[in-house]
Amino acid sequence: MSEAKLHLDQSMLDQADENLELEDAGRTAGDAAEAKPKRPKAGVNGSIIAGIGALVLFALWVLSVRFLKVPPYILPAPEAVLNALWSGIAINPTDPQGYYVPLWSTLSNAAIGFGIGTGLGLVLGSLMAESRTVEKLLMPYAFALQSLPKVAIAPLVVIWFGFGAGSKIAIAALLAFFPVLINSFTGLRSIEPERLDLMRSLSATRFETYRIAKLPNAAPFIFAGLDMAVVYALLGAIVAEFLGAQQGMGVVITQAQAVSDVAGVFAALIILGVLGITLHSSVRRLERRVVHWAHRGKP
Amino acid sequence: MVTANAVKIDDVQLQKPSRPLIRMRAVSKTYVTASSGSVHAVDRVDLDIADGEFVCIVGPSGCGKSTLLRMLAGLDTNDGGRLLLDGRQVTGPSAQVGVVFQAANLLPWLSVRDNVSLPLRVGGRHISSAQRIDELLVMAGLGDFGDRYPYELSGGMQQRAGICRALARDPRILLMDEPFGALDALTRERMNMELQRIWQASGKTVMLITHSISESIFLADRVVVMSARPGRVLKELTVPIPRPRSFDTIVSNPAYATLASEIRGLLNAEGEIE
Repeated sequence: MSEAKLHLDQSMLDQADENLELEDAGRTAGDAAEAKPKRPKAGVNGSIIAGIGALVLFALWVLSVRFLKVPPYILPAPEAVLNALWSGIAINPTDPQGYYVPLWSTLSNAAIGFGIGTGLGLVLGSLMAESRTVEKLLMPYAFALQSLPKVAIAPLVVIWFGFGAGSKIAIAALLAFFPVLINSFTGLRSIEPERLDLMRSLSATRFETYRIAKLPNAAPFIFAGLDMAVVYALLGAIVAEFLGAQQGMGVVITQAQAVSDVAGVFAALIILGVLGITLHSSVRRLERRVVHWAHRGKP
Repeated sequence: MVTANAVKIDDVQLQKPSRPLIRMRAVSKTYVTASSGSVHAVDRVDLDIADGEFVCIVGPSGCGKSTLLRMLAGLDTNDGGRLLLDGRQVTGPSAQVGVVFQAANLLPWLSVRDNVSLPLRVGGRHISSAQRIDELLVMAGLGDFGDRYPYELSGGMQQRAGICRALARDPRILLMDEPFGALDALTRERMNMELQRIWQASGKTVMLITHSISESIFLADRVVVMSARPGRVLKELTVPIPRPRSFDTIVSNPAYATLASEIRGLLNAEGEIE
């Protein structure tokens, strides 16, 4: 079991950003100082840095294409990629040649998979946190499942669920499941004994203790899991599409690849990258609203 | 001054019912821990607390005074002796008992009002008494802070909310476990004044655990000094200082100096054992 604990800690450490917030949430209410100055937000600084990073990357790209003469089938010129992007965006949204139809297909499958996977992760994580028996029963399988390379299971899932939406949803759910399972389990177990004493002193039922004390306490952990899960779900849907699908962003990529349209592949990857950042920051924004206490009143 | 003291003592004697509200007889507790084997925390404690009385328990750290409070609160079980609340054996947490924890122990995700009304919403209770909660908040000087969150409050305000929460079910007994230990000296004195006022207004029976001698004399009708582990009752001292007390006047009261040096002497003797 101690090995499993170690694993848990490692998976938490992997998210450097979240750790700060977890610590914040872990602090007891009592150590607050008399004065409560609101900390200025560091977000503006962050987006400037990100912008500079993007510019440097873009400059390196232009320079390597112009002066190092990298052939276009390895690294296409920025103009070619922008052209490919534009032809996919500036199009009738119902046209299957554009990005909208495949994007919708991928996103909806990923979203359903995300819902199923994270829902199951939260329910099973809660059961494991509440019962040592369930923990002993499920934890080894959870880790066995997690240590299997998902790409290797994917063909099996396609055999089971077919080439339609089912296999995409299943793989998205499979990938979204684990981070929420482990994070909700860890978060629910991390409650301070004083809080449990409080609930016990009020003769609270087990479910009341879960709902009022343990679940909110675990919320920062669960959101860290959701943050990973949302990107994993997208990844899962696309991996499934690679293995065979009628539509989706994975199909867009494989089709472009088939005709050596490297610029087209790049354009699709950029769309997916932007999508990933958008999903991630939406989860973060949601987290800041829901888990506002852990951010100590910062907007 | 002397006559006033005499009157006070007589009052207490008269008010004292035949049966104390809290009765402890030879209460003992031994913990078994993985690291250090068995720890004898509390050793045959006999203590009676009358209805409406304010009792402070002082003792060296780790003397089992928190254990004693936890057993009374029904959060721990005693493995020797008898613990009676109003004549009934303590078997678990009771609505007759409100617990004030160290460092407030508010739930940071609930507003101050939701924290204070928590006891009315759990444990098979679904009493919506917004008025009572408002009255409690006003009494504790938190009338304008009901919709704030704990992180927006100072440490002293948080602990006032913690006291309100303990009073929400209108318990007869308030158990306080070093409630002001995390506060700075000035805030602490102010909180002691507040607590005295709340206690006088509500007529609750209070058992408060502290390691501050001045706090114990200021607040208590009776100070119980406990020994180092295993915790025993070394001495019970009645505080013959009239109420309402204030820190300005209490230090010039000769009884204060006598009591303080006696308690300090007892604790120092114990300190060498530790």
